[in-house]
Amino acid sequence: MNGDKMRILKTAMLAAGLALASFSVTSPAEAAAAPAPQAELAPAPEAELAPAPGAESATQDAAAAPAEEFEYAVPVEGVGMPDGGIDLPDQVTEVGRQALWFHDALLMPIITVISLFVLALLLWVMARFNRRSNPEPSKTTHNTTLEVIWTLVPVLILVAIAVPSINLLANQYDLPEGESVTVKVTGNQWNWLYEYPDHGNISFVSNMLEEEGEQAEGQPFRTDADGPRLLAADRRLVIPAGTTVRFQITASDVLHSFAVPAFWLKMDAVPGRLNETWVRVDEPGVYFGQCSELCGARHAYMPIAVEVVTPERFAQWVRIQGGSMPGDDTGDEALEVDIEGAEDAPTVEGEVVDQAAVDNS
Amino acid sequence: MTDDVTLKRKNLRSAGMAALLVAGMVALGFASAPLYRIFCQVTGFAGTTQRAEAAVIEDGVIGRQITIRFDSNVSRDLPWAFRPERNTETVAIGARDIAFYEAENLSGRAITGTASFNVTPLEAGAYFTKIECFCFTQQTLQPGEHVRMPVTYFVDPAILDDPDIGDVEQITLSYTFYPVDDEAS
Amino acid sequence: MTDTAATPAHFEAHHDETHDEADHRPGFFVRWFMSTNHKDIGTLYLLFAIIAGIIGGAISGMMRMELAEPGIQYLQAWSGQEGDAAKHMWNTLITAHGLIMVFFMVMPAMIGGFGNWFVPLMIGAPDMAFPRMNNISFWLLVPAFLLLMGSTQVMGSTGLGSGTGWTVYAPLSTQASGPATDMAIFSLHLAGASSILGAVNFITTIFNMRAPGMTLHKMPLFVWSVLVTAFLLLLALPVLAAAITMLLTDRNFNTTFFDAAGGGDPILYQHLFWFFGHPEVYIMILPGFGMVSQVVATFSKKPVFGYLGMAYAMVAIGVVGFVVWAHHMFTVGLSLNMKLYFTAATMVIAVPTGIKIFSWIATMWGGSMTLKTPMLWALGFIFMFTVGGVTGVVLANGGFDDIVHDTYYVVAHFHYVLSLGAVFGIFCGWYYWFGKMSGKMYNEFLGQVHFWLFFIGVNVLFFPMHFLGLDSMPRRYPDYPDAHAYWNEIATYGYWIMAAGMAVFFVNMLWSLIAGKKAADNYWGEGATTLEWTLSSPPPYHQFNRLPKID
Repeated sequence: MNGDKMRILKTAMLAAGLALASFSVTSPAEAAAAPAPQAELAPAPEAELAPAPGAESATQDAAAAPAEEFEYAVPVEGVGMPDGGIDLPDQVTEVGRQALWFHDALLMPIITVISLFVLALLLWVMARFNRRSNPEPSKTTHNTTLEVIWTLVPVLILVAIAVPSINLLANQYDLPEGESVTVKVTGNQWNWLYEYPDHGNISFVSNMLEEEGEQAEGQPFRTDADGPRLLAADRRLVIPAGTTVRFQITASDVLHSFAVPAFWLKMDAVPGRLNETWVRVDEPGVYFGQCSELCGARHAYMPIAVEVVTPERFAQWVRIQGGSMPGDDTGDEALEVDIEGAEDAPTVEGEVVDQAAVDNS
Repeated sequence: MTDDVTLKRKNLRSAGMAALLVAGMVALGFASAPLYRIFCQVTGFAGTTQRAEAAVIEDGVIGRQITIRFDSNVSRDLPWAFRPERNTETVAIGARDIAFYEAENLSGRAITGTASFNVTPLEAGAYFTKIECFCFTQQTLQPGEHVRMPVTYFVDPAILDDPDIGDVEQITLSYTFYPVDDEAS
Repeated sequence: MTDTAATPAHFEAHHDETHDEADHRPGFFVRWFMSTNHKDIGTLYLLFAIIAGIIGGAISGMMRMELAEPGIQYLQAWSGQEGDAAKHMWNTLITAHGLIMVFFMVMPAMIGGFGNWFVPLMIGAPDMAFPRMNNISFWLLVPAFLLLMGSTQVMGSTGLGSGTGWTVYAPLSTQASGPATDMAIFSLHLAGASSILGAVNFITTIFNMRAPGMTLHKMPLFVWSVLVTAFLLLLALPVLAAAITMLLTDRNFNTTFFDAAGGGDPILYQHLFWFFGHPEVYIMILPGFGMVSQVVATFSKKPVFGYLGMAYAMVAIGVVGFVVWAHHMFTVGLSLNMKLYFTAATMVIAVPTGIKIFSWIATMWGGSMTLKTPMLWALGFIFMFTVGGVTGVVLANGGFDDIVHDTYYVVAHFHYVLSLGAVFGIFCGWYYWFGKMSGKMYNEFLGQVHFWLFFIGVNVLFFPMHFLGLDSMPRRYPDYPDAHAYWNEIATYGYWIMAAGMAVFFVNMLWSLIAGKKAADNYWGEGATTLEWTLSSPPPYHQFNRLPKID
């Protein structure tokens, strides 16, 4: 299949990238993105110039054993992607299923009944109170009972909607306690930067895969194994199933919005500000989303491709990326600096200019 | 005709009132920028952190621990490397703590930068209190200069009484460094 | 007090007398370019809205053509460019379509057009309070529109035109380098100034120039709707003006109101924009409510049911409309309490809206209805606005909104309340008053053909957008995965049906103006009880030199 060819290509590139000792972990992704005119804008200066010691050593480990390769899943038609239907996508998170129920079992029936009720009333008055059936118009202009009813009944309906609505909102904000994986998402014009701060600072840029023949020279093109047209990305965001994943979302240039419909997830990426949301996906699979806030010419061309894998495969993926799991002994301790003691670099004292002078109005 | 004159005067008065309303709304529109900032600073709205002279309780008398995550971003117009020395720290609620970010000027010229910041969850803004922070002021780095930048902070124990955020396990403090105006591209 | 009108009998006698001294008209140039006559200015507004509507409608046709099938088919050819510049043209199209339809079609037609024409007539006033300011209001709109059109021909960011969307969100709008976005913003300034002057004029006119005996609680509901709208304009537009002025200074003078780099916040722009933007949607629909109320009463031969409830429902919608804005911002990162509040506040609006829907139906109940063209539009309005309204209740739920936010579901929702709401209201008023304004009757058969083609067309066009949105197609996309092809193709067919309806409309108007029957003074008969029906069709150049008395 084409997918294999592409995977081989990717591996080759990965190896080539790793072979260059000066390259950091982000290099393969950057190399892959390089011919895209925007790639040099992808903001990863810290990774280039001040890589985490842990990440560096992990990179060397990976370089020593370049053979291992991660088997990315092939998306299932109609799952985690638009299916051309007339309803909401199937949900793979508990909160998503609750929201789906709220819409399908409560909101939809209510609005359908209201619309049909109004339509029926309109058809009835057209049939019953037209010039021929009712030549003499009544002069009624008031009916207090009626007016009270059509004020109170909508209020009751709204209350009936509000109770589960509040419950849903509260659950969406209720991040489960315990272990979690943190993923930093940065929206750029026009790709996504994914970082895993707790996993050896893995970081890579995810670009849309172009169609065969449209891709830049030497670049991979989309195959069906990658996903549908406009949704497939060259690097998938990989997260573990059954684990709370905390997304921390920001943007480097203009507003973007990080959205994965199958997770009931949409959160704007705002430059200069960090937003946080979370998901807990039950089922491994490949799920797609698209940027959902107008961000310029290629707004429609920066898809989000998420692969959810078992925790064991996630650990494997992290190792292959040159990262480390939080429990691993990878020299992360080396990072710890005795903050009271060692002063290897001068610290800045904050008295120079008051922030008020920085702000302007 | 006196009727016409009274109507004219009445009309001008009505129009004048309407114009005042418009002027008031325009003023409110422009005033919204500083008002919004003050509102955020006072209420911690949108994850805006608080400032204080000293921690409420030294060394965390209240037993609960909380994880603080440090996040860093650099504008693409600013050729600096900027990252926290440690991604996370666990501190006692109420206890004063110090964390360091590292910054390095990667260019061949002196550059002044300033940082925007917020915390997540957004509701934690009202309780995350900084005593000292590199973000209070502008920072100038000489070519190639590498510095450690401290932030001294504590989490206000009042957070435990807030039903919306009292059970939070992790607060993330995020900074984005920007060049100060004249260096902006 | 429910009687929204005077008894016409008073005036039958004296409308001939108005012809002698009051009816001498100025020459062509003075009459149309330096006009101080509310009816002439109203006509200018309506002509302007028609021209803007043709352009805005043609742009939506271009968008539907491009979206008819997956892939990019036309953008390169239309823009004459490749790559990002061609794709940028898409953003220019959506921006221009939105701004034109909101600021240069719906608002001029409803407030400038019908408001100018009929508010003075309905309250028994000789003209607007400030006729010259009225003229300025209209002529500010022309350069505003030219600026917006001109902006599409100069550089935006990666291509020609301003590609920021009608919301002009920072930092995309402050990042764009060319002059296009400046021109678009300045165009909004002028259009906003025009509307503010108009609003001041309407408020003054309605408060001070009602005929003796016409208390506020006897005013026709259309006048009520314009009054509420004028207050919304007065309170909302200055905030937009301030916000976009700050955008301009951020763009050109290095301020950082909305730029995090200097301590600003891009989210503040969104708060300001939607503080204006949400009342703005009521500004676009309230005069429609007013016109539909007049038409339903006229054609049912019954006074409006629950007049006071109807009037104060509009006031309530206007007031609550100012405190719900952040439901447009559910995904920017709001705290739980913010989302809870804005969810609840937004849902409250369904109550006064429900009162209006049911009161219209109650007005028809027991009536003796004739289903002439204006009534068809009114009935279509009521049903389509209900459909758009209930999807609004769905969207109001902050927990639900996440999945459809910024998708075609939202596009479907606001086109149901605007394209099938406000535009139906405009056609309703147009057919209702066409004979009064022009002195010629429209062709009833062509009017009904227009209605049915348009009704079917817009439903085929916009209903599938609900499906596309639920199936998560984001808005402002020129291309989509193949799975969305089916409903997009259907929607484009709907556009062509609607366009055929518009062709019938223009044929009807030409035919009516040339060969239409002469319109009687009160061609709708006993149901039409407001003051404009006591005058000739068209009304004399100056009316009510002797003020009518209302009992």
